[in-house]
Amino acid sequence: MPRIIGDGGEGPLLFSERPDWADVTPIPQHEGYNPIAPIFYAPEYKDATDYFRGIVKTNEKSQRVLELTETVIRMNPAHYSAWQYRYHTLLAINASLDTELKLMDILAIQFLKTYQVWHHRRLILTALHSSSPPLSDPSASPSEPPPLDTTPKDFKAAQIELAFISRVLMTDAKNYHTWSYRQWLLAFFDDARLWEGEMSFVERLLEEDVRNNSAWHHRFFVVFGREQLPGDESRESVLKRELAYTKDQIALAPNNPSAWNYLRGILERTKTPFSNLRTFVEPYTKTRSSEEPKEDVLDLENPAPSSTAELPCVAALEFLADIYEDESENKENAIEIWKTLANERDTMRKKYWEYRIKELLENA
Amino acid sequence: MSSLPPLPKLARVAHAGHCNRCLSALPSSHAHIDASRLAIGFYCLGTLDLLGLIDEKTKEEERQSWREWLWQQQTRGVYGTGFKPSSYMTAESPNDTMQDEYSKFDTPHLIMTYTAILTLAILRDDFTQLDRKGIIRFLGSCQREDGSFTSFPEGGEADLRQVYCAFAISSMLGDWSGIKVDRAVAYIQRCFSHEGGYGQQPTGEALGGTTYCALASLYLAPSATVTENANSYITSSERHRLIRWLVQNQAPAGGFSGRTNKLADACYCFWCGASLQILGVGDTVDKASLASFLARCQFKFGGISKDPDDRPDPYHTYLSLAALCLFPLEDADVSWRLPRLDPLWNASEPTANWIREHVSVSPCD
Repeated sequence: MPRIIGDGGEGPLLFSERPDWADVTPIPQHEGYNPIAPIFYAPEYKDATDYFRGIVKTNEKSQRVLELTETVIRMNPAHYSAWQYRYHTLLAINASLDTELKLMDILAIQFLKTYQVWHHRRLILTALHSSSPPLSDPSASPSEPPPLDTTPKDFKAAQIELAFISRVLMTDAKNYHTWSYRQWLLAFFDDARLWEGEMSFVERLLEEDVRNNSAWHHRFFVVFGREQLPGDESRESVLKRELAYTKDQIALAPNNPSAWNYLRGILERTKTPFSNLRTFVEPYTKTRSSEEPKEDVLDLENPAPSSTAELPCVAALEFLADIYEDESENKENAIEIWKTLANERDTMRKKYWEYRIKELLENA
Repeated sequence: MSSLPPLPKLARVAHAGHCNRCLSALPSSHAHIDASRLAIGFYCLGTLDLLGLIDEKTKEEERQSWREWLWQQQTRGVYGTGFKPSSYMTAESPNDTMQDEYSKFDTPHLIMTYTAILTLAILRDDFTQLDRKGIIRFLGSCQREDGSFTSFPEGGEADLRQVYCAFAISSMLGDWSGIKVDRAVAYIQRCFSHEGGYGQQPTGEALGGTTYCALASLYLAPSATVTENANSYITSSERHRLIRWLVQNQAPAGGFSGRTNKLADACYCFWCGASLQILGVGDTVDKASLASFLARCQFKFGGISKDPDDRPDPYHTYLSLAALCLFPLEDADVSWRLPRLDPLWNASEPTANWIREHVSVSPCD
């Protein structure tokens, strides 16, 4: 299917039309008889992949291979062989990895949801900041930890990377790959100064959208994810700080499962009994009544639900029932709450609440 | 729950048509799936399998040529044997011989090897061409120090999806000698997140798809001691939190979301629903709301999409039907009747039985 050249000058020349590629023998794809889900390849894709197979066959690693693989990748960002070959070529010809990273800044945003884009970025970062670049691939948690004190050059690079990821998260604040990459990067450089900035970053995102579960997850990662754990005393102050923050966010938007899951997460992680939160949770389990007496004392440790909040809050009822379940004198109360959830407040999960009742009775 | 609209028919023939069209050809705009065509083939043929329309909607000569094409993707080399994602890197050779060893940039792919075995079973292949020993060796080549697996030897992403495929293949072959199960189990356990689901990687946010991968793997894994119910790899506290997080993901729309505070998506009806089935608490799902959501995801010209406002694709079509297999409605129209599904392998019962009889190294007698 030859393309008419010069019919308006659209698009770059095919590789098969370029004199500087004349020395490469393109290799067509062997598709076989009646293949599954064949793709009607565009002439440009067929052309580029024919030349890519040709290059792989002769094992050429050169500057022009970077151009060829970029062309393939732009048409098919999930072409992992092209990514793989590109990475090997970059190392073989000692190409500038900073330049590569700049190109990746563009491709990451264009192909945000493609695994390979982020995987390649990890490889490049690892190659740039390790004594020996890995020929295969780095682990999610790097097997070879970087030196304890990040060099000023590495620190600067990590800061630039974090800023880049923040920009990408502006376009899609819940993108799974982007968040995974951020967590990998923090673990890779493992520098306390980098981790410190993460809390304010997370809080900024949660101010924008308190229901952003990825941001809540990242907060958990930042608070508990570092190997280098603080001493017992500061661990207590961390719990206090996290409880205060989470309670405030729940007061702001009580029907937010992300915040409740976070609350449960930190309690379980620190082995803190749920019952410690009873005073905080109870007001969220009550139906709002107009005759309610005004609170005389403002309890800063236990912020009350906002005046516009929809009450009772299902997550609070669930939480209170979990407290009751562990108290011999309150088991009946737990069952009452689950019945309310099953029949009125959360009927989608009717069978689940009935399952909880059954479990409790069986274990009694 | 009484407010649900009456359930329309499941448009079986239209969904089969959607998948048949994708099987026969895809437009050039689909170049991005060039390196995962075996998976597309699995979703298309899997759809026909679940609908019981394989024999009716495909010809024996077609099935024969697909089996041949699939076997052409089985490739041998230094890392062992497995299946390539498609012929996208296969060079045309003058004498059309396919027996050359793979090159470093055309290796088999772990996920595609899992889908290839399933697809060949759907096509009722006799598996005499399966290089079992080579595949076992390939699995080992993909495993890393930390217990996880990469998609292909010496490269590619490593997360719970690859662990699941390695476990599924080992269990299908009935041979776990290729992999270090203990390390892989420890890796899975590290992926458990504070919310009660498993993230894609040890630091990841809880996600429906990878929670399925984790649970199915742990339930496929050979236990050191055979206990009847409680799976020894999951603590009772973890089990409690898993069930809670999973049921919480059934969104107001009736379908499941993959993460907290996200919208319902048809594929998570399978990933979360199957996870609950594996845990033995499938009854906690609101089946009527689930079916109602999936009914609304049916596209008017066939196929099922991720939500009612999107376009259909074979992936969401297959997983929606797989979810419906796990949560049958007693009083629904006959069009909704589907076969039982093996939730651990993600295959219809007849196909799972075929695997047991034809893939296993030492078939049970």
